[in-house]
Amino acid sequence: MAILEVKNLKAYYITHKYGRSSTVRAVDGVSFEVNKNEIYGIAGESGCGKSTLLKAVSGLVKPPLQILDGEVSYNFSDESLNILSLNDDRQRRRLRGVRISLIPQGSMSVLNPVRRIRKSFEDVVYAHLDVSESEFEEMVRDHLQALGLDWTVMHTYPHQLSGGMRQRITIALSTILRPDIIFADEPTTALDVVVQRGVVQLIKKIKEEQQNTLILVTHDMSIHANLCDRLAVMYAGEIVEEGDVQTLFSNPKHPYTSMLLNSLPRVGDSSPRASAPGAPPSLVDPPPGCRFHPRCPFAMERCRKEAPLLRDVGNRHRVACFLQEGGQ
Amino acid sequence: MNNDKLLVLDNVTKVFTKGQGFVKSKIEAVSRVSFELELQPPEIFTLAGESGSGKSTVAKLILGFEAPTSGSIYYKGQPLEHLKGKREFIRDVQPIFQNPFETFNPLKKVQNYFHDTERSFGSPPRGQYPLTERSLELVGLTAAEIKDKYPSEMSGGQLQRASIARALITNPSLLIADEPVSMIDASLRMSVVNLFKRLKEEQGVSIIYITHDLATAYYISDRIAIMLRGQFVEIGSVKKVLDNPLHPYSQLLQSSVPAPDPRDRWTEDIALSDLEAREYTRQGCKFAGRCPRVMEICQRQEPEHYRVDDRLVKCHLYR
Repeated sequence: MAILEVKNLKAYYITHKYGRSSTVRAVDGVSFEVNKNEIYGIAGESGCGKSTLLKAVSGLVKPPLQILDGEVSYNFSDESLNILSLNDDRQRRRLRGVRISLIPQGSMSVLNPVRRIRKSFEDVVYAHLDVSESEFEEMVRDHLQALGLDWTVMHTYPHQLSGGMRQRITIALSTILRPDIIFADEPTTALDVVVQRGVVQLIKKIKEEQQNTLILVTHDMSIHANLCDRLAVMYAGEIVEEGDVQTLFSNPKHPYTSMLLNSLPRVGDSSPRASAPGAPPSLVDPPPGCRFHPRCPFAMERCRKEAPLLRDVGNRHRVACFLQEGGQ
Repeated sequence: MNNDKLLVLDNVTKVFTKGQGFVKSKIEAVSRVSFELELQPPEIFTLAGESGSGKSTVAKLILGFEAPTSGSIYYKGQPLEHLKGKREFIRDVQPIFQNPFETFNPLKKVQNYFHDTERSFGSPPRGQYPLTERSLELVGLTAAEIKDKYPSEMSGGQLQRASIARALITNPSLLIADEPVSMIDASLRMSVVNLFKRLKEEQGVSIIYITHDLATAYYISDRIAIMLRGQFVEIGSVKKVLDNPLHPYSQLLQSSVPAPDPRDRWTEDIALSDLEAREYTRQGCKFAGRCPRVMEICQRQEPEHYRVDDRLVKCHLYR
């Protein structure tokens, strides 16, 4: 049973300025399912709507972001709910940290610079649990120990720690209440390769220990290759391809996915690599038909007029491209 | 001396002092760094390392933004601090910065940067900018594409190529590119990386490429220097160093580059450094605290550079 089901989600940024309104169609008709206990990756370039998707799915919807259509339902072991129908902030707050938790982007700067790390942990724990101080300490100590962090960090201020350390503490903070689902938004971006590897190592460890579901958003295909079970590739507000990570990397069906994978250089291979021509479109005024057609080497007349739907091509591999339909 | 060299760094050290009075502390951001670039053939030299390894400080020293605490830098045989013809140097050595959206003033049209540079380094005929057009052509842009555009109206890849084109107006012999592709999307990144390769091959421009991304470094560069806490721990040809790294730190770095292949995942766990400052002030080898092959001597004595298999390695293992 899928723990998270998203159906035809449309999340737009709508602003009104000087009598003119502008709409950024950041997430435009996205559907997917995430199974319990899996690592589901969402890949795409900056401005493709992946962070907006994460916000909408985790219920962090604030103007100018608006949900125009769609359903986001969670099926936890003991309850099911549609997060978009919750209109009371208290109800949402009850979910956060315990049921769903977010490892935010730019963890370098999410910790309060004038409070010791301990205070941040106190905030998170006491907001959700009614525990005594000694219980709190025991809980944090166990958690830190499991993650290989030292108790002494509790007494430090964020500026005393390196970027990688702060990132690990942010991850520890987001997972201390053992959430059912963890959303991670670019958790390794802006980190050095060695630290990045440490963070990936840590995320894997938490997942194994707490048996939760992880939704990982990053533009870095190599991180997806290293962590994910299934992967969705987004382009201009839509999912263009989704499938098992092995299949997707060895046999990508959408021209955008193969272009993205072909442009990645590797250590030990200096054969020429080209990048995709053109640039991602603006989401204010996306191109008609298939949104990738202006950059696609296989664009046909039909692609300019009609938008392809995400269709299953077998083995839970879904692709939104007319080339796949033509073959069937 | 050094007349056949484009650039020589001889034992360059830069010390930054923090605080004053009793709480003064010193950090050696760059520690006794030496390398040379030949005039011919042109070369792409990579400085690779983690953040805080001092690679950007090296760039600032070469550009003359910072003066070295000790050691000297020679440009075409002349010491940098007593350079005759500073203007010539500025014309010849051009920087390219990390984030193209910060390089350009958001309120200034991109073309004005080109026109200003061209006017101050040449004498273009009125209303015409031949050098601008030529350099835009080199990076695959046209004057029409940047005409009357503000930086916000261009994509990151386009803007970074514009930033490179601006540097090319003066016909430089050396480009200092500090993390030029880290802010650019994956699908556009290779267009900039390929451009560097082409500039070297077709225009004879040497490039100092500063990055933490070993995959692109392997792809474009000729030689690489791996930096750790201000020191070069391994220098040599990029194929040798990255195909078969000798220094334990280079080995860690190389094995930590994630492969874009789900069949090739990390399986081993690694030890992480906790405090940067501790490594900077460490006696002996800076990597001793994390090194899997640490020996007793590493804790107290700093290793020399040893020549092994056509490269220099700063490690006691190769004594």
